[in-house]
Amino acid sequence: MSLDAPQGQVARTSAEAAPILEARGIGKVYHTRDAETWAIGDITASFAKGEFVSIVGPSGCGKSTFLHMIAGFTKATRGQIVLGGGISGRGKLGYIFQKDTVLPWYTVRQNVSLGPSFIGKPAKETSARVDELLEMAHLRAFAGSYPHQLSGGMRRRVALLMGLANDPELLLLDEPFSALDTHTKTHLHRELLEIWRKLGQTVIMVTHDLDEAVTLSDRVIVLSSRPSSILLDERIDIPHPRDVFTVRQTEMFTRHFTRIWSVLGQQFRKPE
Amino acid sequence: MQDPVPDSGTHAQHVAAARQRRRRQTLLVVLCQLAMLAAFLGAWEVFTRIPWFAKNTIFDPFFISRPSMIVERIAMWMVPGKNSLWPHLWETLSATFLGLFAGATSGFVIGLALAQNKFLARVLSPFIVMLNSMPRIAFVPLITMIFGLGIASKVVTSWFVVFFLLFFNTYKGSLSVERELVEFCSTLGGNARQILWRVRIPYAAAWTFAALPNAVSFALVGVVLSEFVGSNTGMGYVMILALAALNATEMFAAITVLSFVGLILVYLVRIVERSVLHWSPEFREDA
Repeated sequence: MSLDAPQGQVARTSAEAAPILEARGIGKVYHTRDAETWAIGDITASFAKGEFVSIVGPSGCGKSTFLHMIAGFTKATRGQIVLGGGISGRGKLGYIFQKDTVLPWYTVRQNVSLGPSFIGKPAKETSARVDELLEMAHLRAFAGSYPHQLSGGMRRRVALLMGLANDPELLLLDEPFSALDTHTKTHLHRELLEIWRKLGQTVIMVTHDLDEAVTLSDRVIVLSSRPSSILLDERIDIPHPRDVFTVRQTEMFTRHFTRIWSVLGQQFRKPE
Repeated sequence: MQDPVPDSGTHAQHVAAARQRRRRQTLLVVLCQLAMLAAFLGAWEVFTRIPWFAKNTIFDPFFISRPSMIVERIAMWMVPGKNSLWPHLWETLSATFLGLFAGATSGFVIGLALAQNKFLARVLSPFIVMLNSMPRIAFVPLITMIFGLGIASKVVTSWFVVFFLLFFNTYKGSLSVERELVEFCSTLGGNARQILWRVRIPYAAAWTFAALPNAVSFALVGVVLSEFVGSNTGMGYVMILALAALNATEMFAAITVLSFVGLILVYLVRIVERSVLHWSPEFREDA
């Protein structure tokens, strides 16, 4: 086990050999009336249990589509996505959208309990779990509030907890913080890292914010512009726990950031 | 923020002062409203009593009656007995409620169902558009012919008027549920039925309720219209009798009563809406 592996993941090292998710030669084509566009050319990657991986790339490179395919919202044109055994079935996968997906007619507690109630978990079991999650995200005092009474950052946290309430092994984050201001965003980064270190899910996050990707991830995957393929798969060896408020000033952060940017920046040069 | 005024007082004093300012403004608004109403009614009352105006202008009490006479007539109507208005008012009100209830529930259910079934929605779309663009009032004589002079034709008329309003609102509301919200709930493990009850229906209900205050007025208009065309009880019937007797006072009295009834109904709907849609930011200030 390497030194940079997150704490609390010790028991999971034996599983490292068998990846929780594999993408084998994924390609995706979009048909319009008079043209076909390959958004994704060829993505082959594997994701280990408990890993936090970010995917960055120019807009239109199919990052979000890749997440959609993992979640099963859309099918790959070619290639295969192989999910680990624990992830098939209802409510085994968490997906957090960029859009606000908190239901306004339910209280915070009812929202967070939504997943467990969908899959028919007994209310008693759910209640204790929901309390724990609310505590973790500092939302205990707002359990009875309605979403319109909360700030944007709080609503994001509620959405995150909704996705976590079923204890999914895999959490997919689709630009989850891009609508927030830097201050709120940084606080949410800290909370996300805390929660992830406690619960130990595999997280795959799509983002256009390279700062965010390096701050949070164990690995950053850089996609090319379309038809996309993987240009760089950079391991971020900044040890956990990370202080999200100071990590950006460290030399290690700068080194990773610069190396990724040297690849990503080239892609941004190309016209869209 | 940086430079507080030295003698600005405490926070509590500021809040109290702000509240007092608001209260004073509300009082002023109400006073202005009362003054306008008093001026209008006063002019009406006074000018109809001056013979020159009554003879040479529209202030002829034969045509426009007079506030004091209208109030007197309403007071007479309120006394139980042979000339009482209560049976008529009751008939109109119950027909309005029944029509509103039938129109709202059927509009909601069918709107929701069509939003779920794209194929059926496409098949029925031209017929619905056609029915909606037809002058629905033109059906009232036919409805009266089919359902008779009793309460049935009134209920059917108001249902007919209310249904489309609520149907279209619910239909549009159900279709506007965001794709992400449904996908999100399906990743949480929700099946189609669960998502229908816990996401689509509450979402659509907000749109349905938005149309309800209008629907109430429509329902009332539908009933009165049906009573004009053919009936032997109800507020519309009272007005038709007044027309036969060329009695403007009775007509104004009936209009006044109907206006109050409409006002009260809309307020009641608002109260129901507020308690059902308490989560909506629209009602945040009142929470």
